[in-house]
Amino acid sequence: MLKKEFIIKAPERFDFSLHQIFRDSYINVESHNKVLVLDLSLTSYMDSSALGMILLLKEHADNVSASVIIRKPNATVNKILEIAQFHRLFIIEN
Amino acid sequence: MDTYQNNQYVKLALVVDDSKVQCQVLSVLLKEENYQVIVAHNGLEAIAKYKDYQPDLILMDISMPIMNGFSATRKIKSLSESNLCPLIFITSDDTEQAYIDSIDAGGDGILVRPFSPQIFKSKIKSLQRISDLYRQVKSLQQEQQKDAELAERLMSGVIESRNFALDKIGMIKQPAALFSGDIQLTALSPNGDLNVMLGDFTGHGLRSSIGAIPLAETFRAMTRKGFSLFEIIIQINKQLYTLLPSDLFLGAAFVSVSEHDKSAYIFNAGLPDIYIMSSDGSVRNKISSTHPPMGVLPELFKGTNLTVLSVEKDERIELISDGILEVRNDKGNMFECERLEESLKKGIVENNVSSIVLSDVIKFCQNMPQEDDISLIDIPCSGWLSSKDNHEATLMKNEDKSIAHDYENGACAWEWRLKLSGSRLTKINPIPIALNQITEIEGNSEHWQNLYTILTELFINALDHGVLGLGSELKSTAQGFVLYFNEREARLAKLDKGFVDIKLSYYPIALGGRIKIYISDSGKGFKYIKSEHREINNQLYGRGIMMLNQLCESLVYKNNGSTVEASYAWKV
Repeated sequence: MLKKEFIIKAPERFDFSLHQIFRDSYINVESHNKVLVLDLSLTSYMDSSALGMILLLKEHADNVSASVIIRKPNATVNKILEIAQFHRLFIIEN
Repeated sequence: MDTYQNNQYVKLALVVDDSKVQCQVLSVLLKEENYQVIVAHNGLEAIAKYKDYQPDLILMDISMPIMNGFSATRKIKSLSESNLCPLIFITSDDTEQAYIDSIDAGGDGILVRPFSPQIFKSKIKSLQRISDLYRQVKSLQQEQQKDAELAERLMSGVIESRNFALDKIGMIKQPAALFSGDIQLTALSPNGDLNVMLGDFTGHGLRSSIGAIPLAETFRAMTRKGFSLFEIIIQINKQLYTLLPSDLFLGAAFVSVSEHDKSAYIFNAGLPDIYIMSSDGSVRNKISSTHPPMGVLPELFKGTNLTVLSVEKDERIELISDGILEVRNDKGNMFECERLEESLKKGIVENNVSSIVLSDVIKFCQNMPQEDDISLIDIPCSGWLSSKDNHEATLMKNEDKSIAHDYENGACAWEWRLKLSGSRLTKINPIPIALNQITEIEGNSEHWQNLYTILTELFINALDHGVLGLGSELKSTAQGFVLYFNEREARLAKLDKGFVDIKLSYYPIALGGRIKIYISDSGKGFKYIKSEHREINNQLYGRGIMMLNQLCESLVYKNNGSTVEASYAWKV
């Protein structure tokens, strides 16, 4: 069965200022068997707080037995994800 | 918090109008609202009174002699950038342009005559509400600033001032906010190895500092007790995972340099590449991040390893945080690796890495504000232990030996024994446990450092040459150390049998003590270079035993080398 995707699209600048709005975007996703997709195709800047926010997303997903996919990071953002070795924690699709 | 309440605090209003009648009318209305009132009759006078009285509210006429209301307002607003004193224009000019000009000049509102007293009072109330809010924000901001200053003092004054060898290790630290999320730690291990960590906590400011104190404590205490770098990393990861909320973590680079073994153990978890630089300034190696930052996972990933490298005395290791690579100039370009590498090269050639890199970064970004903390640690691969200290230690020790010989064996005060078998040998480091026992019973002593060196050397010999059956001739070249280490790791991973048995006996003697060490292992023994043949030996291996002979009162290998008895004695 194809799992339903719930897509969160991050803006160009993904940093601490989005903390609340980012959390609000997924916190009500409860139904099981869903995939939370974080679409980074628009994002050109991401700080370490954003990495922390992605970890919170994962924590929520784990709690409701959903999974998280990070999609389409650009080269700069991908470098940041790579340094943090996030490909060992998440599925990252290009 | 703001302790002012509207009814307790008498506010002061400044009324500016060239008509005395108008001033009178407005004053009456303001007094009914519990304001004290001062008046001015032209713009210039208004500026002077503003400076003298710092009012809470200003009512300003537009057309006046000497200086009009717009000019006076511009001047007053430029004087009061940091505090909000609401200013209302009072005019009979009922045009759009008058409104636009009033706001442009810095006014917070406009009241057009004629107006009723009720309208006037409502307008003032609404503006006062905004300025009260502003004052609250400001006082919160000041409080936050004070907290950040405290955290900064704690960080630089308490945590980082206790770093080891600050004169030998170059550091750059330029926080973006007052308080930096970057932390730089150095500590000396009992065997003379140098442990260094550069960490970058998520985010900036006070929030990112909460993990700093436990982190520094763990790093220092475990280094001092002689735990290996890998054991320290495992513990720090576990500790930060437990302590910090899940969006807070620590990108970190760890290095342990052994001048004696000419080797470096390196681990990068979430920081940019670590540089190993040759003495000519070229990049010899880069060590990339191989693990998520500390505190993200409850345990390190299975199969996580440190990188081990042979290093020359004149090589250097450079740790950096991402802030330095991401510094931007006015064209939006980032500093990036190529510029950093050039800068490092220049710094190494001129023997002043931290100053040169910092000045290059500042030159590059000109006056652009810095978005992230900038950190660098420049680590030499030798020279942090001054030769003077070593000499002193040797003299002390020889004196100790002769004194200790004057006393015959007394009764044994206590014995302690630990026998590790099979896979426990790969997981447990018995040396910190042994030293902890000694310290628990006998308290602190400067002699435990020598004892640490002796125990470590004897235990490693028993494990490597005995249980694992490694020959030390592998270590005969500088590069051989890495081969040796890799072979050791491979054999350790497969280890499921064998043992090392450690026994300590403590004998108090007048003005000192003696510890007898007995270590035996399950191996077949190894080639022990007898002391009479060891005089001049420049080979890289065998040095350990030379050092043991120097430190110990007596050292005897038995059973073909699979059992060793050593005795260490000292005076207080």
